[in-house]
Amino acid sequence: MSERRLAWFEWIGWFGLLALVTAILIAIRPHLNVTYVALAYLLVVQGGSARRGRPLGLALAAVAFLGFDYFFLPPFGTLTIQDPLNWFVLLAFLATSVLSAQLLYRAQAEAADARQRAAEIDRLASLGAETLSTARAEDALVAIASVIRASLSLDSCRLYVADATSHEVRLVAQSGESSEASAIDHTVVERAAHEGRDAAELMDGSSTGDAPIELLARQELAPPRVRAFIRPLQARGRTVGVLRIARAAGLSPSPAEMRVLDALAYYAALGIERARLVAEAERAQLLQEAHRAKDAVLASVSHDLRTPLTTIKGLAHEIAAGGDDRADVIEEEADRLARFVAQMLDLSRITTGAAAPNIQPNEAEDLLGAAAQQATGRLAGRELRITTDAGEALLFGTFDFSETLRAVVNLIDNAVKYSPAGAPIDLSARLDGEWLVFSVADRGPGVPRTERERIFEPFYTKPGARSGSPDVGGAGLGLSIARGIATAQGGGLDVADRPGGGSVFSLRVPAIPSAALDKFSKS
Amino acid sequence: MANDVVLVVDDEPQIRRVVRNVLASDTTRVIEAATARDAIDLAAAERPALIVLDLGLPDASGADVCREIRAWSQAPIIVLSARHSDQEKVALLDAGADDYVTKPFSPGELQARVRAQLRRARLAPAAGAGQVITIGDLVIDPVKPSVKKADVPVHLTKIEWELLRTLLKHAGRTLTHQQLFRAVWGNSSGDMQQYLRVHVRSLRRKLESDPVRPRMIVTEPGVGYRFENEP
Repeated sequence: MSERRLAWFEWIGWFGLLALVTAILIAIRPHLNVTYVALAYLLVVQGGSARRGRPLGLALAAVAFLGFDYFFLPPFGTLTIQDPLNWFVLLAFLATSVLSAQLLYRAQAEAADARQRAAEIDRLASLGAETLSTARAEDALVAIASVIRASLSLDSCRLYVADATSHEVRLVAQSGESSEASAIDHTVVERAAHEGRDAAELMDGSSTGDAPIELLARQELAPPRVRAFIRPLQARGRTVGVLRIARAAGLSPSPAEMRVLDALAYYAALGIERARLVAEAERAQLLQEAHRAKDAVLASVSHDLRTPLTTIKGLAHEIAAGGDDRADVIEEEADRLARFVAQMLDLSRITTGAAAPNIQPNEAEDLLGAAAQQATGRLAGRELRITTDAGEALLFGTFDFSETLRAVVNLIDNAVKYSPAGAPIDLSARLDGEWLVFSVADRGPGVPRTERERIFEPFYTKPGARSGSPDVGGAGLGLSIARGIATAQGGGLDVADRPGGGSVFSLRVPAIPSAALDKFSKS
Repeated sequence: MANDVVLVVDDEPQIRRVVRNVLASDTTRVIEAATARDAIDLAAAERPALIVLDLGLPDASGADVCREIRAWSQAPIIVLSARHSDQEKVALLDAGADDYVTKPFSPGELQARVRAQLRRARLAPAAGAGQVITIGDLVIDPVKPSVKKADVPVHLTKIEWELLRTLLKHAGRTLTHQQLFRAVWGNSSGDMQQYLRVHVRSLRRKLESDPVRPRMIVTEPGVGYRFENEP
């Protein structure tokens, strides 16, 4: 059914109702006071006004006015009125019905207005959604800033990004004139970010954080006092940025405009959060590419240095076999260079974090055995004694086996370098709280307290190192590599005095608690 | 001794020269290839007893060459490279390589590895036939099955037996953690790393004369374990 025909049926319906009410009132006329008649008619008129607006209301009021006079004011059946008081009743009725029809019209107009504003917010919201999908996150922020400026008739709208920890702010988007830029008080913006509270700049140049919203609300009536309003933007429970809106003639937003501002500020917060996440993802990707580049450089340097060393060693070996013992020196020096290259590569790999450790549950005795095997031939005639305090119990830790082995072998090399000839080196593993500790103990000169941290720096050589001792560790990189390996696995490496003389280097990695190992003992 | 042919594959002539000088002898003839293509052709034509393969070939990855040769040849492959990460070693072993040597290697080291692989390859048909194995004071009879250490019977659990049998079957060859776990347990889920290490430890404690310095069940760091029957 068309809207027009529906309207016609409603008009007919309301006049039918008016006729019905008149008929009932006529039937009980002897018992009625004119007041009841006026009230009954008024109800019908107001009902009609509410349903179909002012035209029906006024038409019903006119017909009811005539019906009232004709049927209910003596003499009945005529439009004349005897009692002058009844004139008053009739006019009062007419005035009331017209007035109520008018008032209802106003209320309905306001409702329509509200619906329109809701639609406007909807449009802005969808605009926000569109801007959020722009290619560059910063473009979306510029779009949001100009939408805010246009919706509230502002001179300028600025969006700042706030650092999560330092609360430092940085302008990311602005719409509107920049002549005002020099006058902007950044401390107000920063304070808003830091405290997470609204703030306002007043016409006289001062600022306040004291109930700025109430100040704004009051402006509609009084002369404006606020020229800029600053609001921290929150996303996922923390301040991600700041919104600053300004108007040189003073801000005087209507309640509706304040609602629009709230909605748009929310989108600005989401936009800033998105920009931040995009930037983070880009940085992560750059880091990854940098890691890949480092891996490639290390691999190629490794290849380019090791291949000629292989040739030098091989040829020196051949010449030595022919009886020239100078070739032995060449081979030894090539070995020394090879170790140095290996350590340089280890160090750069560790310090640049080029390779993530492959952390697995590993068993301590297994590592001690592998360390003993690798140390064979590097002990310069010393004995390597191995002890564990575990007995039958399992000693497990979570660590990268190869890396930790390299660290322990470096510690053994270091012990060989600084112990007197013939003094045994002690290698042990034990559980210490939540740590699995590998210790290498020597009978060397020990490390003075003041040197205890410095010895782990790259290229450090102890003042007491004898130049004549076999150079196993290269250029003082062994300890810093060992510590780097331990740290990269969440552990550490320290040195302490050994009772009876010498040093103990203790490398710790996370242990697996013995309770977690019970199931293995049963199987 | 039979005349062995060893194929050396490296794109750098100096390295080929060093390897040739180390390996060539009255009983060993060395042939050379500079590319993966030539290597595969030569391997097919000459049927070498062993292949020394450099990983940094210009025309193919070392793992691919391993796989291709392994598809039709059982000749041991020893890989040469400037540096192997643990993952690379595992991948190479899975691709069919038998051993790897890091540059710069000493001639003696390469010689020893090559000899070990040739010996293993020659014995391969006999291995796993179930004959009694004697290593020092240890006597292993895989058929009965029984283990005696200095004439005293050693009790092994079912899993320890499976582990020992797997290692013996591939004696001299490094088995990755995955390969061992699959052979012994049949799958590789759960706390594989821990189970394997627990049983290797108990096996060492029963068989090795010094379990902290194993001579038979040798750890290949970050890769797996190897049984050395001639320690």
